[in-house]
Amino acid sequence: MKQKLFVALAVSFILVAIPVTAFAHGARITYQTRTAIEITAAYDTGEPMEGAQVTIYAPDDPSTPCFTGVCDENGRFTFTPDLSKPGTWDVQVRHAGHGGIIHIPVGEETAAQGGTCYTPLQIVLMAACVVWGLVGTALFFARRKA
Amino acid sequence: MHIPDGILPASVCLGGYATAGAATWYSLRKIRRKENPREGIPKASLLTAAFFVASWIHVPVPPTSVHLVLNGLLGVVLGYYAFPAILIGLFFQAVMFQHGGLTTLGVNATVMGVPALLAYYVFRLRNFLGKGSRVGTGLCAFLAGALGIGLAAAAAMTILITTMPAGIGTEAERTSIYALTLAHVPLMVIEGAFTALVALFLQRVKPMLLEG
Repeated sequence: MKQKLFVALAVSFILVAIPVTAFAHGARITYQTRTAIEITAAYDTGEPMEGAQVTIYAPDDPSTPCFTGVCDENGRFTFTPDLSKPGTWDVQVRHAGHGGIIHIPVGEETAAQGGTCYTPLQIVLMAACVVWGLVGTALFFARRKA
Repeated sequence: MHIPDGILPASVCLGGYATAGAATWYSLRKIRRKENPREGIPKASLLTAAFFVASWIHVPVPPTSVHLVLNGLLGVVLGYYAFPAILIGLFFQAVMFQHGGLTTLGVNATVMGVPALLAYYVFRLRNFLGKGSRVGTGLCAFLAGALGIGLAAAAAMTILITTMPAGIGTEAERTSIYALTLAHVPLMVIEGAFTALVALFLQRVKPMLLEG
């Protein structure tokens, strides 16, 4: 009885231990979790920058594009930065001569999200300040001579 | 129309600053030769505010949308004050809203300011049609307003096309620049009509305010 059990164990051990390489045509698929960054580009009217050209520069070479691509119809583009190059990755988006650059910190200080835009309230407040400055200038120069 | 940072090569940005500097010097010299150079400042300041805000007014022209520029109007109403006014307006748009950019300030000022001065010259043609003539004023103001924005759009397109970086999707980018420039044709009509309305209004209520 004890011997039978031993044989059964030995057979199953051999079956499990047969090297995988014995099967030719085997596909080698591995996976690794990586961090991708999705950018969304839109005009300040909210209209997505569909078909905008995206150029991405790695921190170690700010003159040669690392990735290039085109935004989809929602103005989105996703890329996977090489985490072995920490620093600021520059992403340039351009469409019909419009566009901008966003600097994305990658590495220890990676932020979950960020952007280059202000809220509508901030915009209105800033515009109001500038307009008031200009109106004030006009009033100053238009004052009656004492 | 407002070319942002990072699109143009450094040499073009420097050239833009050079031409903008020359145009500012020329305008200021003309202003200094006026009887009372300070007289025009309130008007110029108020129109700078209008110019600063105008770029937030978007006009949908399918498939894209364009915004008002009003450089022709500034040329018509301000004369030589228009160039400094546009320079200051663009500076605030660039620092506040990243609309345009500081490196391209010279290029943008040239692209919008020089057509404004040309618009002023066109508007002065009304003197040949009789200064008090409403038709002459309206017509010249319309032409000046349309010419100001039309020339600016054409100049911006030329600069963008000729400095296109080789490589990525150049053809697609070129097509979208042409499309955007064509979208400025309806805007020319709108700005021309607006300029004519303002000029006629000023001629009726305060003709002294109209330059030339």
